[in-house]
Amino acid sequence: MSTTTTRVEPTSEVAEDAPRALRAATGRSDRIFRGVSRGGGIAVLAIMSLIGVFLTYRALLALREAGWSFVTTESWEPDAGEFGIAAVLVGTILIALVAISLAVPLAIGTALYISEYAPARIKPTLISMVDLMAAVPSVVYGLWGAFFLQWNVLGLSRWISTWFGWIPFLSVEGTDPRDPLATETVYTASTFIAGIVVAMMVTPIACSVMREVFSQAPAGEREGAYALGATKWGMIRSVVLPYGKGGMIGGTMLGLGRALGETIGVYMVISPIFVIQPRILESGASSVSSLIALRFGEASDFHLSALMAAGLALFLMTLVVNFAASSIIARSRSGAVSDA
Amino acid sequence: MTSRRRGRALVLRWAGGLLAVALIVQTVLTGAAPGARAEGSYVTISGSGSTWSQNAVEAWRRNVEQFGMTVNFAGNGSSRGRAEFREGTVDFGVSEIPYGIRDGNNEDPPPSRAYAYMPIVAGGTSIMYNLTIGAQRVTNLRLSGATIARIFTGQITHWNDPAIREDNPQLNLPAIQIVPVVRSDGSGTSAQFTAWMVSEQTDIWNAYCAAAGRNPCTQTSNYPVLPGSAFISQSGSNGVAGYVSQAAGAITYVEYSYAINQGFPVAKVLNDAGYYIEPTPEAVAVALLRAEINDNAASVNYLTQDLTNVYRNADPRSYPISSYSYMILPTELESGFTEQKGYTLGTFAQHFLCEGQQQAPALGYSPLPINLVLAGFDQVERIPGAQDVDINVAACNNPTFSSDGDSTTNVLAENAPYPPDCDRPGSVQCSTGTGGAPGDTPPSGGAEGGGTEGGGDGGTGGGGGGDGGGGAATGADGGGGTATGTDTGGAATGTDAGGTASGTDAGGTASGAADGTDTGAPVIDPETGEVIGGDGTDAGGGQNVSAVPVSLQASSGWRFQHTLMALAGLLLLGVVIGPPLITRLLGPRNATPGRTP
Repeated sequence: MSTTTTRVEPTSEVAEDAPRALRAATGRSDRIFRGVSRGGGIAVLAIMSLIGVFLTYRALLALREAGWSFVTTESWEPDAGEFGIAAVLVGTILIALVAISLAVPLAIGTALYISEYAPARIKPTLISMVDLMAAVPSVVYGLWGAFFLQWNVLGLSRWISTWFGWIPFLSVEGTDPRDPLATETVYTASTFIAGIVVAMMVTPIACSVMREVFSQAPAGEREGAYALGATKWGMIRSVVLPYGKGGMIGGTMLGLGRALGETIGVYMVISPIFVIQPRILESGASSVSSLIALRFGEASDFHLSALMAAGLALFLMTLVVNFAASSIIARSRSGAVSDA
Repeated sequence: MTSRRRGRALVLRWAGGLLAVALIVQTVLTGAAPGARAEGSYVTISGSGSTWSQNAVEAWRRNVEQFGMTVNFAGNGSSRGRAEFREGTVDFGVSEIPYGIRDGNNEDPPPSRAYAYMPIVAGGTSIMYNLTIGAQRVTNLRLSGATIARIFTGQITHWNDPAIREDNPQLNLPAIQIVPVVRSDGSGTSAQFTAWMVSEQTDIWNAYCAAAGRNPCTQTSNYPVLPGSAFISQSGSNGVAGYVSQAAGAITYVEYSYAINQGFPVAKVLNDAGYYIEPTPEAVAVALLRAEINDNAASVNYLTQDLTNVYRNADPRSYPISSYSYMILPTELESGFTEQKGYTLGTFAQHFLCEGQQQAPALGYSPLPINLVLAGFDQVERIPGAQDVDINVAACNNPTFSSDGDSTTNVLAENAPYPPDCDRPGSVQCSTGTGGAPGDTPPSGGAEGGGTEGGGDGGTGGGGGGDGGGGAATGADGGGGTATGTDTGGAATGTDAGGTASGTDAGGTASGAADGTDTGAPVIDPETGEVIGGDGTDAGGGQNVSAVPVSLQASSGWRFQHTLMALAGLLLLGVVIGPPLITRLLGPRNATPGRTP
């Protein structure tokens, strides 16, 4: 009876059917915790936007002077009024692409091995080894790259350019593979070698993300795949990899973000040049972050402003990459519970 | 009851936590406080700058560690050192050049904090190179100033360039590319080296600098590199020295100590007196006797150097590209500089101005002369907090000090050995090693067949200036000598002597061929028994046909290893795609439903 009454009164119906406001009894500790976490979240946003504002503010001087030519000019002589990021930005992207194309297969393989194949005894060791790889300072990778790796990769570079030189970006100018007196230094200090060094730094990050996602692949689906007669590889292909797709893309993008910003490892390996150099095996490369590291030391005010502008460009690019990564991770099924 | 107990437990835990925090804070405070307060103890100081003098600073830094003094030094280039001192992020800077030296359009403004310069060590900017002839490392290369400038401006691109051969009559230089390695970061070494070029090789430098888009052309800390050239830029002195030590044909400018550490030779540079000189500590000391030091104590640039007369020093023992390196000291308590830091920095400076200088020659530097050491001590006293000590400079055992304490003599320079005659331009050159490579280099060309060059040119038109070097290289002097010496004026019956020579790649056995173009009668090579020379008018281009033993950087052509490589590739392909293919082929049969019972 009473229910009928309530139904005929529209005003009270709305009021009663609206979801009840949940009011948990918030203790002091709850409030403090909420305050701290909210403060942390806001601080991150504030710091990020302040960095952006600071860079823009400091870059204005140079950007006003250069205008759009800042994006199209290749050379970097701010004190002579001739400067732009066309060459360094392309160089940055090339190094990052080389790094990613080497790091991703390596990371996927490592992550799959650790999460699926490795015996339980050595699994923790492997995980901590990968984490250790992430903890090695980049200057160490830089030293290793410049003094050891570079001189042992020359043969590979020469081989690739000799046999695949017909692909434009793998060709090398200034040398003739048939000339026994040609110097090998044209293969040193190149985008390719910088890319390998950066790949070493990117792999552990990508690998950790991927391993985490792979290991969360729902056990029910795994067992379902086995029950349907799948082999281990069949199970991985039909369950783990589709489930981990978001994590793989996300890990790759996170790695790409790091690769774009890598400074000291690149700085130590490359021989900086300020022209667009698409031939990745040839000596001469450039990147925004190494340009800043090289030049801010003696920069005049205007030069510093130009460097800030370059930094702003890198900041924006990294931001876009990371946002893309997070949106891809958010849309993927990775981490969702199994319905099986 | 329960809630009260829990409450009490909570209170206890809180109290425990607070106690722990208090304890930690106390430990930290008590740990730090005595060091900061007590007289006679040191605090950590940090500096940044030059890699040119880094080896010396690092050695001194390690020396004072035993006194409990922690000095952090980051060698990231003079430019960065000056900038970080200006910004106040370091307590001292180390730089080859002072503030305010115009670099293109960059003025490099002096810092707003008060500062003073103090010379710390002298040294030579050396020309380190990596060159082998055959399997023999060259350790006695000599270069004139113009040749160096032309190498580092891309005008000379190959080691067998006539200019280099003229400097090195007894080296049979190979036709490999020169790879000049320069600094990519802002560097005092680059500044010193380009300052020398601006002053002494003005036209060569200005042409290059303009081609690189620099306007105006000045000395520069950032060495310009033309895109597409063979130049390589590397960061830091260690970076360039490490690169050169690995790359055949590379050459760089770097402080002498780096060449010694890497075990590599440095070029002897021709000075104004007409001697090729190595940047030994003595040669640097002699050269710097002519350095003009700013002696106006009121000037901000007090003690800085003007090196023009050093470059042109007419003493036969002097190394032209010598200079001092400077420490930039704070003279006020600002930018986080404290009395304790001043005390530490002062003690550190007093150590390296006195005892530290003894180590300089062993490290590859040249010790400061007594007048600069004394002036340095006066500068140290301007550091706030620095201890005022009466140092008996005679006890420093500085190799430049005379026993009578005379502040005008430099014993190291006075006793410097005079260069031998073989260091003069001419047809002979000393074979002794240099820098970190003391081994001798036996003559590999030239002198024995010395007269041949003229003969070849003066003979038939086809002679093409074959240099007797090839013959000498293999030791087949007889063959080479005969072929070239008998200059009968070219009875030319044009067959291709060039073909004979270049066809035998046995490392120069047939080198006489090119030179033999002028003889009428056939000449038999004593080693191979082949008929060489005697008939080739079109032997032309002596340097191409005379077989020079050269270490190849890589083999060429299809070899057995290429076949193996292709096989390995095929095998890998088979291993990867084989099993799945076979499974596919066999698959349907296994999967037929009828077979399961």
